Amino acid sequence: MPEPVLEIESLSKSFGALKATDDVSLTLRGGEIHALIGPNGAGKSTLIKQITGELRPDSGSIRFQGRAIDILDAAGRARLGLARSFQVSSVIPDFTVRQNVMLAVAGASGHVFRVLRPAQSDAKLTAPADHHIAKAGLHERAQARAAELSHGERRKLEIAMALALKPRAFLLDEPMAGMGAEGGGQVTAMLSALKAEAPILLVEHDMDAVFALADRISVLVYGRIIASGSVDEIRRDPEVRRSYLGDDA
Amino acid sequence: MRQVFDREALINLAIFAALVVTAVVAHVAGQGFTVTLATKAAIFALAGVGLNLALGYGGMISFGHAAFFGIGGYVAGILASHAASGAPLVASFAGTTSMLAIWPVAMIASGIAALLIGALSLRTSGVYFIMVTLAFAQMIFYFAISWPRYGGEDGLSFYVRNTFPGLNTFAPIQYFAICATLLALALILTAIITQSRYGLALQAVRQNSQRSTAAGIRPYAIRLTAFVLSGMITGLAGALYADLNRFVSPSMLSWHMSGEIMVFVILGGVGRLCGPVAGAAIFILLEHLLGGVSEHWQALLGLMLLVIVLFAPGGLIGMLSGRKRHA
Repeated sequence: MPEPVLEIESLSKSFGALKATDDVSLTLRGGEIHALIGPNGAGKSTLIKQITGELRPDSGSIRFQGRAIDILDAAGRARLGLARSFQVSSVIPDFTVRQNVMLAVAGASGHVFRVLRPAQSDAKLTAPADHHIAKAGLHERAQARAAELSHGERRKLEIAMALALKPRAFLLDEPMAGMGAEGGGQVTAMLSALKAEAPILLVEHDMDAVFALADRISVLVYGRIIASGSVDEIRRDPEVRRSYLGDDA
Repeated sequence: MRQVFDREALINLAIFAALVVTAVVAHVAGQGFTVTLATKAAIFALAGVGLNLALGYGGMISFGHAAFFGIGGYVAGILASHAASGAPLVASFAGTTSMLAIWPVAMIASGIAALLIGALSLRTSGVYFIMVTLAFAQMIFYFAISWPRYGGEDGLSFYVRNTFPGLNTFAPIQYFAICATLLALALILTAIITQSRYGLALQAVRQNSQRSTAAGIRPYAIRLTAFVLSGMITGLAGALYADLNRFVSPSMLSWHMSGEIMVFVILGGVGRLCGPVAGAAIFILLEHLLGGVSEHWQALLGLMLLVIVLFAPGGLIGMLSGRKRHA
């Protein structure tokens, strides 16, 4: 079994009396897609935010590539290669596609406070950016403003930005959201491509996609992981059927 | 890729050239007062260039930049007044009248103020940021009013303009040359910063701070750096303004001043390199032309501002260049 890339141990987070994350443990291993599913309000986003560093857990710890990252802030974790995408596709609207990816290259390098050279002629930014743009299939749109991209193109831009972070793991928050049926097919193809780069922790509502793509599934209900296992195990699990999938699944 | 001399760059050059030509023609025609007006416009423009870095490029709506303008002014005034009276300022140091010494002190003092104010106010955002920066500036304003040593409410006069090696700073055209040169340097610095890797990060943070964080960038550090630089540039303008008038008073620190600096930026074009230059020039022009007709000239200024905000959010530069701002 491949080494775990991301290890989450007994993570807990409460907002007042609400236990949004209740003693969650989870691992992401090399080469896999691990899907996190659960009904609305199960605490999926809260959990993701603790992994990215946007929220501080009350207790528990997170290891990334064998190293505790609890004290790192969100930018520091991103620089280690923990790449995330957002539920609502999120880019810098007034930047061109190329500038967006150059930004991610600059951020990943950790050398952001450089002022002497114009960014546009800094080959250390432009060369990797162009490479990732081509890889995401956006090279024809490199000079387009991000705000003018179609939804599918924006998703591709996000992927290019994630690639620029030299990802060691992807955290993808509902990548299918807002995509039509054919767009969903595109994303499925893209996820397979990403999986070749680094393992993926996938938060997704679309059950068909999850069952088709995931190697392992964890089910989150009321902040707790109630089941974790292969696709078949999850399909068969009686508690999952009762509390989430409904008996007809 | 953006060409070096695109339309907006030509407009920028034209605006700066117009300012210089105005001063030179007025000098040749013996109109010393007009040269002084052009100098005032250059100084206000410099203050606006400072604010533009924070407001235009960094999206930090500071309503407290008078604090830095006033601190720069008071540094010049205090150093000069000690030099005149011979009373020691610190230990045996009795101030100075050399601009080359005054400017760095003014910039460091306003930079430290910007670091403290920025470090606290950047923990908030939106309308709270506006209010916190305003509150800090008002604190410094009231402090200046209640500090009798340097004139309190009446302000502080110093009768001899500070000196610059090789120049007669009392000659209006020579003082204009000093101010215009500093303005040009600040514009070049702004252009370099905003085109750089750091500038890319600053403008990304303005538009989408969460996304920037996910790309490995720390918005707080990026913003604070720009805020400090911004305060230092506006502080330098304050020192020049004090020297222009040979007088500083708490009015340089008042919220009216903060508002005026903001007006320069908005009139000319938020986040446009020469926006503050155009904005300050129009402001001075209106003040001079209409101020003589009616003391209510600012009503017209208000109307102009309203029209610009509603119909030409790119300001004057935006209208002339006919293009939306792009990063």
